[in-house]
This record gives sequence, structure tokens and C-alpha cells, in this order.
Amino acid sequence: MEAVIANVVEVTRHLPMLLRSSLINIQLLLALLVVGFLVGTVVALLQVYGGRFVGVVAFVYEWVFRSIPALVLLFLFYYGPAQFGLYISSFLAATLALGFRSSAYQSQVFRGAIQSVPPGQMLAARSLGMGRGRAVISIVLPQAFRLAIPGWSNEFASVVKDTTLAYAVGLNEIMRSARIIVDRRYDLAMLALLVVALIFLVFTYAGNGLLGVVERRVRVPGLTTAEPGGTRREHG
Amino acid sequence: MTFNFDVSYLPQLAGGLVVTLEVTSCCIAIGIVLGILLALGRVYGGRFISIPCSIYIHFFRGTPLLVQLFIVYFGLPNWGIRLSAFASGILALGLNTAAYQAEYFRGAIQAVKAGQMVAARSLGLTRLQAIRHVVLPQALRLVIPPWSNELILMLKYSSIVFSIALYDLMGVGKRIASRHFNYFEVFIVLALLYLALVLLITLGLRWVERRLRVPGLGTAGRGA
Amino acid sequence: MRTVGIGVLVGALLVGGLALGQDKYIVASDIPWAPFEMVTDAGDFFGFDLDLMRAIAIVAGFEIEIRNVAFDVIIENVRTGRADIGASGFTITADRAQAVDFSVPYFLSNQAVVIRKDSGLNIVTALAGLGPNRAVGAQNGTTGFYWVEDELQAAGVNVELKGYETYPAAILDLVNQRVDAVVQDEPASKASIAAYPELLTIAGIINTNEYFGFLVRKGDPKGILPRINAALAQLGLTVRDAPGGVQELVIEEGSIIAGLMEVYFGPDLDEIMDAWIASKSLIFAGDLEGFLASMKAQLGL
Repeated sequence: MEAVIANVVEVTRHLPMLLRSSLINIQLLLALLVVGFLVGTVVALLQVYGGRFVGVVAFVYEWVFRSIPALVLLFLFYYGPAQFGLYISSFLAATLALGFRSSAYQSQVFRGAIQSVPPGQMLAARSLGMGRGRAVISIVLPQAFRLAIPGWSNEFASVVKDTTLAYAVGLNEIMRSARIIVDRRYDLAMLALLVVALIFLVFTYAGNGLLGVVERRVRVPGLTTAEPGGTRREHG
Repeated sequence: MTFNFDVSYLPQLAGGLVVTLEVTSCCIAIGIVLGILLALGRVYGGRFISIPCSIYIHFFRGTPLLVQLFIVYFGLPNWGIRLSAFASGILALGLNTAAYQAEYFRGAIQAVKAGQMVAARSLGLTRLQAIRHVVLPQALRLVIPPWSNELILMLKYSSIVFSIALYDLMGVGKRIASRHFNYFEVFIVLALLYLALVLLITLGLRWVERRLRVPGLGTAGRGA
Repeated sequence: MRTVGIGVLVGALLVGGLALGQDKYIVASDIPWAPFEMVTDAGDFFGFDLDLMRAIAIVAGFEIEIRNVAFDVIIENVRTGRADIGASGFTITADRAQAVDFSVPYFLSNQAVVIRKDSGLNIVTALAGLGPNRAVGAQNGTTGFYWVEDELQAAGVNVELKGYETYPAAILDLVNQRVDAVVQDEPASKASIAAYPELLTIAGIINTNEYFGFLVRKGDPKGILPRINAALAQLGLTVRDAPGGVQELVIEEGSIIAGLMEVYFGPDLDEIMDAWIASKSLIFAGDLEGFLASMKAQLGL
């Protein structure tokens, strides 16, 4: 029993290092979500409004980035630019790789949301003399984003966990710290890893809670999705 | 610009591919069995069964797969359980996918109209028999689309086992690349291989879904 | 317009002034790999390779920044310019020399085979794949790894080779009974025996006669190698060609290198770390003699 307590004390000594490196995960998360959001919105718009050819290109983009494993994408973005004489940091490579990958999933969510906005909205906007672009930006998108929040929360939960994969390209995030602890003190492995798991559980639920609050705050009465409930895994 | 890839790497990659397929199929198998059990536990179990099932599902869905893999590989030896890299890989991946599959199965079981269960019981079947012969067969058909998604996902996530010295497609690729310094070329080839695999499996699953389709069996809400 | 002109002038002077400062190079090393590269609890890097690199930098007149990079990626980093120097116990091999340029050799080593004491194996049975796991482990990208691939597996020995990103990870799997042996350079092997004294032992040595060198980008665009080699000579190293194509490393007695070797190869690793923490201000200030004197005093040498 004392051994267990001693181990717990020992692990808590490493807690500052774990928490500090988890900040890197958070930074990566925010950066890649921004990339995914911007690119995903563009791709979704292209698929809905872009015409046949552009739609196919967007579809292929989506399929490629959803079908290649995240790890392969990470390595490609890390070692690829070197082929052309550019070298980019682990953080940037991870942001781009995971960001573009997320954009493929986010574009699916946004596409569904855009298509869920009642078509009457677009007609009404056009009949008021708005240009197509203006109508999309001012009328369709705001509603679409609200409709997209549940699906987007799903993506958020997935992506939080995927930030750990960046350790494979040398990013000093939480898994790398965990490995250092495990390599040095193998008897602390289980405890240290459970602590890491706990950190993620807390963060995931906090994030989901926050998104729930956001959804309630921006809700437009009368605007709901037709989607039945149930959280589906977009990707693990 | 040269493309530095030797044909002699292909046999090695083939070996890695076999390991990838082995790991994926084993972990999916574990996931199906455990997932169905968890789903049944949550739908039909009393409080004592459904709450632990819920906790399990929340844990495995709320924590990263990599953490789960390391817990099995590095953590279990602390408790005296030393599994090989392969066993650790399929166990961790299997436990993970089971949590997600449990939710799909639960949704599918609940989508099978309640009337089916009532009808079965009224014909004299026990609850267990009703589940086995009436509810599950329909639920299993309903579950194919999200489940196919899961299979493809596990195929991609199987690549993380390279981090516990298991030489799947990713592990072999990295080994070749670090010896010959042709990282970019090797990973382009890996990307193409995974794309081809995903395409094949997706088409295969669509075929299976068409074959197993039951006319009239749709999602919930088609009327009692 | 005048202010812009003055601003540009001041800016140029500042940049020029900064450029007149010392060159700074990034040193990539796979930490930890005792006793060549290690890290204190506070996160300071030290070890034979790293302190030797610091000594070289002091003597040659440049600054260095040490970064922890996975071993099998260091050469890639140097090739692409992410790092300037690789200092991580790299054996000079023909394959590697095609990708990077090496300094003169500064250390001679052999491979050792580490096994569990209770396994009942010897060097032959462990490497022949006759242990319970039929597998041996090695760190990715090391000459130990390639030795098993090229000398054992290629010769038809039925043994599985498991690669690890770090050397401690390989030892961990040995302790956890997932591999029967780990092949690694002798000094590092001795260090891991010291870390697990009841569990592990060295089954034997494989005479590979490997020379360690520091590595830089092919073609040495920044002109670092001549400075490293000159510094090594100043620090007490002479390399002579001996008959049989072998090179002889002659370390001058009482030189800085001799002192570093005495301090790092022999004493207990924990004591070395404590001694280093007490002496580090000296080496950071550029006082090599004082640093060595302090280390030796702390270690009772």
C-alpha cells in the first residue's frame, strides 16, 4: 500500500511537466481547427454552389484526406517540403496535416448544414436583389453554422484526441512527455498514463460543455436540424 | 527531381501489409463481440449492468487511442500482465472500437421497432430468444453503414502500432525510410497503398450491404 | 523621408552588429543515451558528447544550441538544414558518409549484447533467436540495428528484430520480457546495466570497431567541420593511420578530452549528474579547465 502511495506522489511530481506539454496539444488543436474551419467552409461552398467539375474536385479532395491515415499525412507534411528545399517545424507540419484532414470532415458537416437551410431563404434573398455571393454570406452561412454545431462538436471531440499523434513528428506534446516518464521509470507507467487519460477526459468534457453553451446562446428559435440524435464517430 | 524508391522494398511492404490486415481484422472482431455485448447491456441490462457499460464507453471514447495503446503495452506490465506487441495492439484497438461499435449497435437495436419485440414475446419467445432471432438480425443489417465507417477507421488507425515496435505497413515504411533517407517517396507510396485499401474495402462493403438489404427495413419512424 | 533614412541606417547597424556576434549552430542529439548524452531533472543537457561539443564550441569560437531529436531522424534533420551538427554517438559508416560529412573520429566503440540475468541465455543463444521471444531489440537507425539486419538476418538466422525510437525503450522491452537481448554500443550498454543491476547483464561484446564522429550537412556549406577538427586537435586528440586500414586515436594525457573521458566513463551515473549540476556554471562560462577540476573533485577522482 505504501508503495502505491509512494508511486502516486512520484507521479504528481511529474504533473507540471505533463500539464505544460499539454499546452502544446491545446495550441495545436486551436491552430488546426482554424485551418480546418477555413478550408472546410470553402470546400463545402464549392461542393454546394460550385458546379459539376468543381464539385468533383472537392469530392476527391475530401475523399483523399479522409482515407489517408493521419500518421501518413503527418509524415508527408513533415518530410515532404524538405524535398523541395523547404523545411518546416513539427508544429507547422502537424497543424497543416491535421488541419487539412479536419477540413475534409468539417466540409462534410458544413455541406450538410448548408443544404439543410431551407431553400426558401436563398430565394427570398435573391428576390430582394441580393447577389448570390452576398446571399450566401449573409443569409445562408450564418444559419448553416448554427445548424452545424452538433456535427462540429463531434469533430472537435475527435480532433482533441488526434493531437496526440503529432508526437510521431517530434512535437514535444503530452505523449512525448509521457514516454519520457515511462522510459525513465517503468514502474510508474500505468499511473502516469492514467493521469494523461484523465487530463484528456476532463478537457474533452469541458470542451463539449462549452460548445453546448455556445449552441444554446446562438440558437435561433424555429431553426432546427432534421437530424435524429446520436453522436456518430466521424473519425476516432 | 528524382523519385528514390526501389522495387526491392515491395516484398517488405507486402509483409507490413499483411500485419496491418491482421491487426485490423482481429481488433474489429474483438470490437464486434464486445460491442454487441455492451450495447445489449445498455439497452436490456438493469442499472448494475448498464452503468458500468456506460462508464467503459465514456472512457474509451473520451481518451486518445494512443494513450489506450500505451496503457495496454506499458501500463499492464505494472500489474503483471505482459502482452506481446501484437496482442497489445489488437487488445487496445479492439477495446477502443468496441466502445464506438456499442453505440452504433445500441442505436440500431433501439431503431428496430418496439413492436417486433412485443410480437416476438407474444408468440411465446423468451426475451433472449427474441433478441437473438428477431431483434439482432435486423439490428445487424441497420448497423452496416456506420459499422463500415468504423472498419475503415480502424484500418487507418492500425498504423499507430508502429510505435510499439510492431511492423505493420507504417512500421515497415518508416524502417525503410530511415535507412535510405527517402522519407517522402516512401510515405507517398504508403499513402497510395492505404487509399487503394480503403477504396477496395469501401466497394466491398457496399456490395455486402446491397446483398443483405431487407426490403422495408429502414430507419425508425416508418409507422408502427 | 529623413526619418525613414535614419531608421534604415540604425536598422542596418543593428543587424550588422548582431551579425558580428558569434556563429550559432544547432546541435541535434538523441537524449538520453548514457553516458554520451543525458539530461538532468531540471532539463539541462550534459554528457560526454554534449560537453565535448561545448568544449569544441568554446575553443573554436562559436555558439551552440542543443536540441533533443529522435536518433533515426537526426541525419535527416542535418541533411535538410533543420540542424547544423549531429552529435549523438554516430558511428562513421560508408552509408552514412554518403548522406552527411563526418569529423575526425573521436571515440572507439564496440557493440555489446545486453540480456536478462534470469534468462539463462548466452550471447550465442540470445542472438541466434533461441530465447523465448526469438527476438532481439535495437534502437532505430543505430549500427547495432543494422548489424542484426546485415550480419544475422541476412545470414539466415531466424531472429526477429524489433526497433525502438529510444534506447531506454528497447531496454524497457527487455525488462518486460518482450525481447531476449538488446544490441547497443558498449558504453550505453554498461550504463543500462547500472540502471537495472539485479535484472540485466552484458552477455558479451561484438567486435565491430566503430568510430564515432560528429556529422554535418554534405558539402559542409557553413564550414563547420574544419573548425571542429581543429578544435578536437587542440583539445588533445590525434588520429593516426595504423596498419590494416585501422585508425588509432591518441588522446594526450592530461588534455581536456582525457579529462572528459575520465569523468564520464567510470563513475556512477547519478554521481556524474550531481557533479555536473555543481560544476555547470563553469562550462557555461567557458572555463574548461575549471569545469574538469570541479567535476573530478566532486567525483573524488
